[in-house]
Amino acid sequence: MATAPYNYSYIFKYIIIGDMGVGKSCLLHQFTEKKFMADCPHTIGVEFGTRIIEVSGQKIKLQIWDTAGQERFRAVTRSYYRGAAGALMVYDITRRSTYNHLSSWLTDARNLTNPNTVIILIGNKADLDAQRDVTYEEAKQFAEENGLLFLEASAKTGENVEDAFLEAAKKIYQNIQDGSLDLNAAESGVQHKPSAPQGGRITNEPQPQREGCGC
Amino acid sequence: MEAVVNEVVSPEDLLKFEKKYNGEFTKGRVSKGTQFEYAWCLIRSKYSPDIKKGILLLEELVPKGTKDELRDYLFYLAVANYRLKEYEKGLKYIRTLLKNEPNNNQALELEKLINNAMKKDGLVGMAIVGGIGLGVAGLAGLIGLAVAKSKS
Repeated sequence: MATAPYNYSYIFKYIIIGDMGVGKSCLLHQFTEKKFMADCPHTIGVEFGTRIIEVSGQKIKLQIWDTAGQERFRAVTRSYYRGAAGALMVYDITRRSTYNHLSSWLTDARNLTNPNTVIILIGNKADLDAQRDVTYEEAKQFAEENGLLFLEASAKTGENVEDAFLEAAKKIYQNIQDGSLDLNAAESGVQHKPSAPQGGRITNEPQPQREGCGC
Repeated sequence: MEAVVNEVVSPEDLLKFEKKYNGEFTKGRVSKGTQFEYAWCLIRSKYSPDIKKGILLLEELVPKGTKDELRDYLFYLAVANYRLKEYEKGLKYIRTLLKNEPNNNQALELEKLINNAMKKDGLVGMAIVGGIGLGVAGLAGLIGLAVAKSKS
């Protein structure tokens, strides 16, 4: 597999975090399948999804780890934060408690990822404006104070879902371009897949020489 | 789903949750949460003895679990058995989960994955049996030839 030609130039690792029931898996499903999952049960442990997107003419494969929001998974799901290039931190605009818990999610994200990890705050369920419990302005301010990107989205209607994943990718790509994200760092969360075969080996995938095996 | 079931725990994580488990164990009382966390790490190990130990811990939890916890145990028992290529057992667990939640997407995907692995294994098995059959036939032929030669 390591020698197969890639139809993308980069891999970005993402995580999705936030309280249970805010719609993390529905956002992922809407993004990868372009469908809304009604009555989606609580995620067991982690889920995974991929999609190839395009930023500035570069094809980028997003590998997205969607973590369960229930408390009993939290200790172990923390290990999935490691090496994430992007993090979607999600709350539900109709449930203030999910917004109030953001600082705790943010602390985890900051402590367990690297300083260049791009975090985007997503206020999900934007279609339920009548039941809104958190104003746009308030969340926007929180995002600005903490240096986060911010969008309100709806996994149900699909509004801004695409953009949520794309905006983070654009920012990561920009960090690569201006040199602030070092691709050789162990946990940058980005892998470059040179299209030309002579373009060099990927450093964290050494190809050990086979020894003494005549079979 | 393939990425989820093939993902391997980091040694540091395994050690961390092992310490937590052992700490509670020596005090004589392991909480369900700690046991689950350790088991979840064990079944993601690349070594089968770890996976087997994880299975034991999860099986121990099954009768103690609330309905909500039970789905976690069943799901990871299915994953663990899949990783050990114990497909029949894996299917048994995932189907128990599906009985309670027939539309659970994660469970449906895992069931599909196990089914496909079984089919693939079945084909490989047939090929091996077929190969052995050919080999035996060939060997018999050679022996026959040798016997015939020695007699002549």
